[in-house]
Amino acid sequence: MKGIFSVLVENRDGVLSSIAGLFARRGYNIDSLAVGVTDNSEISSMTIVSSGDQRTIDQIEKQLNKKIDVIKVRRLTEAKCVTLEMMLIKVSCSATTRSSIIELCQITGAKIMKVAPKYLLLEYHADPEGIEDFIRLVKGYGILEIQRTGAIAMEKS
Amino acid sequence: MMNGAEAMVKCLEAEGITQVFGYPGVAIAPFYEGLYHSGIQHILVRQEQNAGHAASGYARLSRKPAVCVVTSGPGATNLITALATAYADSIPIVAISGQVSSELLGRDVFQEADMRGATESFVKHSYLVKDPDDLPRVFKEAFYIASTGRKGPVLIDVPIDVQNRELTKPFAYPESVTMRGYKPEIRVNMGQIHKVVAALNQSRKPLICAGGGVILGDGEEMLRAFCEKFSIPLVHTMMGMGVLPKKHPLYFGMLGNNGKPYANKAVRRADLLLVVGARLADRAIPKPENLAQRVAVIHIDIDTAEIGKNMGPTIPLVGDVKDIFGALMAEPIEPAAQSWIDELEEVKRNTLDGRVFSDRFVNPNTLVQKLSEKMADDAVYVADVGQNQLWSADNYVMKSGRFLTTGGMGTMGYSIPAAMGAKLFAPERQTVAVCGDGSFQMSMNELATLRVNDIPVKILVVRNRYLGLVREYQYNTYDAHYEGVQLYDWPRYDKLAEAYDMPFFACAHTDELDATLDAFLACPDACLMVCEVDSEDRVK
Repeated sequence: MKGIFSVLVENRDGVLSSIAGLFARRGYNIDSLAVGVTDNSEISSMTIVSSGDQRTIDQIEKQLNKKIDVIKVRRLTEAKCVTLEMMLIKVSCSATTRSSIIELCQITGAKIMKVAPKYLLLEYHADPEGIEDFIRLVKGYGILEIQRTGAIAMEKS
Repeated sequence: MMNGAEAMVKCLEAEGITQVFGYPGVAIAPFYEGLYHSGIQHILVRQEQNAGHAASGYARLSRKPAVCVVTSGPGATNLITALATAYADSIPIVAISGQVSSELLGRDVFQEADMRGATESFVKHSYLVKDPDDLPRVFKEAFYIASTGRKGPVLIDVPIDVQNRELTKPFAYPESVTMRGYKPEIRVNMGQIHKVVAALNQSRKPLICAGGGVILGDGEEMLRAFCEKFSIPLVHTMMGMGVLPKKHPLYFGMLGNNGKPYANKAVRRADLLLVVGARLADRAIPKPENLAQRVAVIHIDIDTAEIGKNMGPTIPLVGDVKDIFGALMAEPIEPAAQSWIDELEEVKRNTLDGRVFSDRFVNPNTLVQKLSEKMADDAVYVADVGQNQLWSADNYVMKSGRFLTTGGMGTMGYSIPAAMGAKLFAPERQTVAVCGDGSFQMSMNELATLRVNDIPVKILVVRNRYLGLVREYQYNTYDAHYEGVQLYDWPRYDKLAEAYDMPFFACAHTDELDATLDAFLACPDACLMVCEVDSEDRVK
């Protein structure tokens, strides 16, 4: 199962490595990790997406809570939160395939950031599943490079 | 105004610290200059690891954080094993390490080691102090973190320039801490208490399994009173030794693969297990999951993360052991039936010890029994690691003393420095370190520290000229292919004792044991005794 954690931490040096170290040491997966400062410059917010069985996900929450620099851990469920990920992707194209890729962009809402003779650089954001779907859609044209931010998430209520 | 080093010393004084264990070097020299002008006694150990173990022994007796001090680089890395040991056993230690000058951090200069990074998974928390004005807050927090909630070691890494720089504000030690991310106080959940009461009242065969957390939470007396009030029998883990004396009618021994078979049988026959302050690691319960399927388990711990880590309990209960049993004492609980105690008594009577021990030398079981019987009631027995530890745990006669050992990390060489720390805190209590000839040689350099500082710890070496526990493993697992386990006949212990001007006692046969132990225990000074045991004698 998937575990989405929204974690507020002290914005200090060493905190990110301490959190990452916790995952490494106890053998937890990090599917994605996004970090940014909050409106309070002393506090950062992390969105950590992990996967594992129920016990592992429970343990991750408890172990995160044990960290002194962790202020608050919230476990988000996909149904009750909005998740969003951003991606930059270079899709290979030729004169013949360019128009069909552009058409795809219009349908999906992907933004064309740069047009080059041999590729299109696209920006796309969606929930992580939507990102996967988009990658599958353009795969046939040839993907040259992908950069993903990792998911960020926020509770709806 | 004062500099950072002076402020560090002031912080220790504010915490009531009168003795520290350490090993200096240039990166911590300003702090030592501060110590020089203070009333704090510094005990110079002979290797940094032992400063950590000594602080551990000290803290376990004082039940407050103890302090060790090391320099940067190798001094600091030498300490890591002791930190890991204290972390595994949840012992409150504040470790201070010197560090290279802030502007040189990350450049791999002489004696630089990234201590925060290196100790990340072995400390409860760590600090790298970059501004001397932060020192009072950092020290206050470190002592608070080490000694509250689930206790553990905290590291404070202080670059030399921070020690030398003047504080810009007048020194003021904070009265309290404010940390958004750390709230160790847990109020007892009465809803859960009532579930526990209901489970106890339904149970016909309840059993308490006490772990080291009971002792760390100062809960021995409260748990003892609880056992007695409701006639609930008790078994314990190695770290949980000390709740009930051995002769108590509700006492049924240490469980686990190194424990008493009848204690394990008691666990199997119980219908309700009350696990208190134990993580139920592999050595105590080989397959915790199976156990949880068979019996109802109430798991009580101060650390939420322990609950469900190794076993999914039926009823979790998080909080301070004294608060919880204080609350339970006031509840209407039916005492357990006498027939259950009788059943366990019968199991105990009928569980025969089939082990045979050699009579060529000293029988290690007799040794530990006699030693712990002869020791003062409130004496401190520090067991090292190896066969000696298991013989100790198996045969130790608990009265009102303390049994210290490292059950979590199993660090060889623990006993001598830990005994040193314990004795320094409680000079009035007889203190004996019991080790094997392997573990002895891992910290025998501390004989000098005992001698120089006149700390009258008694050291008993259970000698079989082998790394006995590994040898036993090779016997059982690899067809007695003994590889890398023989220690041979050196050192010559009589000469070693002489080299340190220590009284020496030797015992080669069980017949001589009484007389030798009497003389050894009567000796007022730090002294060394060697007991020869047969290398064929095994734990199992």
